[in-house]
Amino acid sequence: MAGYNPSGARKVYRPSEARQQNGQTAPQEPNLVPIMNLFVSIIPFLIMMISISQVALIALSFTSDGGGGGTGEGGGGGAQAEIVEIHLMLKELTQAELFPGMEVREPDKTTIHKIPWLSEDVYDFDRLNSLLIDLKEKYTDTAEIAVIVHPDVLYDTLIRTIDLCKDNGFVTVHYRNPKTQYIY
Amino acid sequence: MSSITSQKGTRQVRRKIEDVKSLSITSLLDVLTIILVFLIKNVSMDAVKINQLPDMKYPTTITTEKLMENAMVTPVKLYMDRVLLGIGNQYLGTPQEMVESADVRTVMQNFFSTEISEIPEDKLSDACLIVQADADLPCGYVTQIVSVGTSVGYGNIYFATLEEADWLQSYRTASNL
Repeated sequence: MAGYNPSGARKVYRPSEARQQNGQTAPQEPNLVPIMNLFVSIIPFLIMMISISQVALIALSFTSDGGGGGTGEGGGGGAQAEIVEIHLMLKELTQAELFPGMEVREPDKTTIHKIPWLSEDVYDFDRLNSLLIDLKEKYTDTAEIAVIVHPDVLYDTLIRTIDLCKDNGFVTVHYRNPKTQYIY
Repeated sequence: MSSITSQKGTRQVRRKIEDVKSLSITSLLDVLTIILVFLIKNVSMDAVKINQLPDMKYPTTITTEKLMENAMVTPVKLYMDRVLLGIGNQYLGTPQEMVESADVRTVMQNFFSTEISEIPEDKLSDACLIVQADADLPCGYVTQIVSVGTSVGYGNIYFATLEEADWLQSYRTASNL
């Protein structure tokens, strides 16, 4: 080693000697085995935890209208804002003006668009999509819409409807129960 | 290391064999480091609660929303034949029993109340109910869960779906067949 002097004589350190590399051992590779062990343990654990196909999410807003829909954010208390309503229905009931399909009511409550289903459980989402595009152009200021769904309508239909609303700019979707129920 | 080769009438030749070099694992370590960083970035404890369930048919959506930050998640799994509550998948009953039996609904309400009571008071607004329901279920069952959840105090409710950017196109094609 640079500082070792076997003769016992007093060693004089000089800058030039300090630079000499004689006697130094060759640089050794760091021992990576413990790190490798750690990695090999952590990586399978993380791979186990990670979800490759994670589900997507859509959020809801709730309106308290006595139908049991809830009292969450955007409820608006008792008086509800005049917004576009989409009614999802499954069964035919002439007395209650119900039919299998969708009914879109504009805020003035007089303009009603009826979209009957194409076949059993196949709703006309193309027409709904076109209508929502037109309604968004007409009511540019509002981002709210209400979806009123009857209990027998499939969950898939509800989610697709909410999705189209959000995709067309109606990002705050209120989830309501119908005031008119089927009579069995 | 060396080997000795001998032939009759010839001198022995010692052929030197090169030392076996140690395997360089530096590049492997580089790859593992990259993978580790990637996995740590992606892994999330919340994601565990809302993993895709293999035996459930999810509805598909174009739009998706991120789960709110620091959400206190309570998952509910609504299959065609059973309802499971919470991370521990506590069995509640069948969807039909949930709608018809007040006792079953009370059990669900108590469960949600217990979950809410475990959330610190300053984080109550982060209480979040995630409904994972089968696409072929009638909405009445989902409405029941949402109704009980909101009555207990869940202010944020999410529906789990699968992202599919062109479901409208495929739906159109399927409906024309």
